[in-house]
Amino acid sequence: MADNDLVNVKIDGIAVQVPKGTPAIEAAKKAGVDIPFFCYHPKLSMEAGANCRMCLVEVATPRKGPDGTISMAKMPKPQTACSLPVSEGMEIETQTEQVIADRKAILEFLLINHPLDCPICDRGGECPLQNNTIFYGPQNSRFIEEKRHFPKAYPLSKHVVFDRERCIHCARCTRFTDDISGDHQLAFLKRGADMYIDTFNQSKMVSKFSGNVIEICPVGALLSRDYRFKARPWDILSQKSICTQCSNGCNIKLDYRVGRLQRVNARLNEAVNEEWTCDKGKFGMDYVSTDQRLVTPLIRRDGALQPATWSEAMDLVVQRLKEAGKSVGAIGGARCTNEDNYILQKFFRNVLKSNNLDHRLGTYLPPAQSGLHARLGYHTMGNAIADFERMKTIFVIGSDLVNEQPILFLRVRKAWRFKGGRIIAANPAATQISEFADPEVTYRAGAEVALLNGIIKILAERNPSAADLPGYGDFIKSLAGWSIEKAAEESGVSAERIRRIADAIFSGETAFIAGKAVTEHPDASAVIEAICNLAVLSGNAANVNIPVTQCNAQGAMDMGLLPDSAPGYTPVEEPGLNTRQMLEAAADSNLKALWLVGADPVAHYTDADLAKRALGGDTFVIASELFLTPSAELADVVLPVASVAEKDGTYTNCERRVQRIFKAFELSPDVHPDWFVFADASGRLEQPLPYFSARDILREINVTVPLYADCSPQKLGNEGIRWQYPSAKSDLQLVPVEYRPLAKVTVAE
Amino acid sequence: METNGNEGGHRFSQKSIAQLDEIITHYPERRAAMLPALWIAQREYDGYLPPEALQEVADRLERPLSEVQAVASFYTMYNFRKRGRHHLEVCTCLSCAVRGAYEVMHKLEKELGISAGEVTVDGEFSIAEVECLDFCGAATVVQVGDQYFGNVTAENVDMLLDQLRNSDSHTPVELADALVKIMTPGGSEAAPA
Repeated sequence: MADNDLVNVKIDGIAVQVPKGTPAIEAAKKAGVDIPFFCYHPKLSMEAGANCRMCLVEVATPRKGPDGTISMAKMPKPQTACSLPVSEGMEIETQTEQVIADRKAILEFLLINHPLDCPICDRGGECPLQNNTIFYGPQNSRFIEEKRHFPKAYPLSKHVVFDRERCIHCARCTRFTDDISGDHQLAFLKRGADMYIDTFNQSKMVSKFSGNVIEICPVGALLSRDYRFKARPWDILSQKSICTQCSNGCNIKLDYRVGRLQRVNARLNEAVNEEWTCDKGKFGMDYVSTDQRLVTPLIRRDGALQPATWSEAMDLVVQRLKEAGKSVGAIGGARCTNEDNYILQKFFRNVLKSNNLDHRLGTYLPPAQSGLHARLGYHTMGNAIADFERMKTIFVIGSDLVNEQPILFLRVRKAWRFKGGRIIAANPAATQISEFADPEVTYRAGAEVALLNGIIKILAERNPSAADLPGYGDFIKSLAGWSIEKAAEESGVSAERIRRIADAIFSGETAFIAGKAVTEHPDASAVIEAICNLAVLSGNAANVNIPVTQCNAQGAMDMGLLPDSAPGYTPVEEPGLNTRQMLEAAADSNLKALWLVGADPVAHYTDADLAKRALGGDTFVIASELFLTPSAELADVVLPVASVAEKDGTYTNCERRVQRIFKAFELSPDVHPDWFVFADASGRLEQPLPYFSARDILREINVTVPLYADCSPQKLGNEGIRWQYPSAKSDLQLVPVEYRPLAKVTVAE
Repeated sequence: METNGNEGGHRFSQKSIAQLDEIITHYPERRAAMLPALWIAQREYDGYLPPEALQEVADRLERPLSEVQAVASFYTMYNFRKRGRHHLEVCTCLSCAVRGAYEVMHKLEKELGISAGEVTVDGEFSIAEVECLDFCGAATVVQVGDQYFGNVTAENVDMLLDQLRNSDSHTPVELADALVKIMTPGGSEAAPA
């Protein structure tokens, strides 16, 4: 019976059906009944919960008497609704005299030592303690004794400051560091009235996710050192946005005041970041409101960059582009929105007639038509971020996940902590994943293929049906010289641990996540082929994930910022130059004009010397930038452009989820979104691309790029939409991979 | 201090490691052996738990450092500072208070020149005020290491001090050792290293 899992309960007489085991507080939410709380948090475990006592309710359950009649038996004491799993027929009362008196008593108790310094507290105005006191608290206090006193501003880390007096001991932060971030930094010390929260031995709180404890603190005890005393909650405006610090695409709120960003808070999106942010995102977004932002165009005159009007700058750009003809190129796009990138490529392809477009600055160039896509039918990630929760096993290879993909790391940890998933990891050096990876093996740098060959060898023996896969014969022949012992010797991982990895992969649905050690491997394509072989062989061809790292690198690929493919990965007839070729051409004076769109090759390209020669030479260099970066300093024209806070548009995160950003404020009249710059230039070239807003452009993308057909402004909503490939790849095969020890590999381009 | 060839500055002796291994078998998970492990650490680290001792317990039980400190600091009988060679714990609960526990306390403070919670300069004595020691028939009770002294009064407390000055036993280390012995009925004794 399908109803088996549902139970009928009544909250204040309102009947609801909820899954068995739901906490009473969640059932009440469903019934529309408000139960106040402090320590309860749906994402934290209840092992150390139910300690604020704010959610007390009276409960009765049905009981069968000796004569078979059923009567309601009231529990003798009030229960905490947060830790009470509902059962069939349960009746919960939240408005009885007893409950009202209990709430008053609890609040009086919590306020005994709370300093009530609300006028100077950052939480004032958005504080659960204030709010619950208004609605459920006592009108006065009987406490006339001295309150506890502690240092008011105890710094826990670079970002978090702790006001120990305000703490009400709810244990949300300590549970966060145990349950979610896994760094176990905060704990309760001592007991009773002496209890307080601290790190071990007063050491610095070391966490990649420390900012979250500020948001989940139900009082103003944990505060942001950046935001402290900067604004009042009722003075700030808030705009929905997406974090630009990595490719995970966390949903955030930009809280701003008089045109300056004040702080970043997380925004709920169960599919992506749930309600967490990493510290890079929470504290690193202040770049949008620094005084180093460019606000006027700059033109190189007499060897130095000097301020100019927008028209002067654009006229010069257009004049030089006309002279350059087809000898132009553009690098950039990973920080731009899809709309920016779409217009950028349209401007270059349709107006300037050039395919010299690229956005890739690293050693690894995610290829549009080969590599992962050719093998498995997708370019970067086979799984959605939320899919990792369902995996039996997750194999992280060559990735310092917590630094490379922080939110993905949290999801992988959640799979282990709450969903019974098993995590195995193989890295050149130990990483933070060793807390829960079993095993985390350390292989000799560069020996990925050897390690994978060992695992493949075991799985091939166990999975006889693999013999039906195309290419199996050649593939097995290519492994003839390999044994587990040889793999162990080459990779430096013991045979026993290789077997344990193979066992884990064999035990059920497995997802693979590869990171920088793979993508920056000199022989990256061989490693990726080997991972594909392992995935195909173990029946997990849909579960390989090699996420991009830059904010909108996925979107830049989708929008055709590639020399060989137009938007939607349509191959172009005459591929243009890639990043390296453009830089080389510029260095040799074979490229007349180069437009850097938010790209900083001098700082980020692997060959900085080449970048310097390219930008410092005869080529006319235009830089659309937020800051005067090392590359922009070498440019001939620098155009100030809008940051994420100053424009509308969409970003596509590493799992291909298209999500909207909204303009919060304006920096200066001369600061425009990137797409506007190209639209303006096209007008001045008398081949106008007539767009008025990012919405217009997205509507055009919906039509011209079939992969984005569903991603219309109306449909994207709050969760965004993860675009799908039209069909899964059917012709999977195994491909022989040659293992070349690192010393023998020469860096290929 | 001998390290017994332990890595990372670990100090547990072979005997301690064997005892901890035995204790761990008493529980369904390693974490549950935290309190006995802390007692072993208190014995091995000279009668108190410096950060290194907590670190060693964390390493041996594979638990986070913060959790070990949280557990240890919850209880009053784990020491976080070095105590005197004789740590005098004076009960000041009801029965003892009625029978002059505070006179005993003040006499001790005067004699030793320290307040409750402090250690004498020569490291011989420390005093602490504690809750009921469950030996009310002999109030006032003073616990020194693994030994109870009953019927202590302001008049006879000098005798107790003299007796302790000439004694090498009843130290915090011996108290820890006595407790660990109770927790290891198997009497696990490693072969002498």
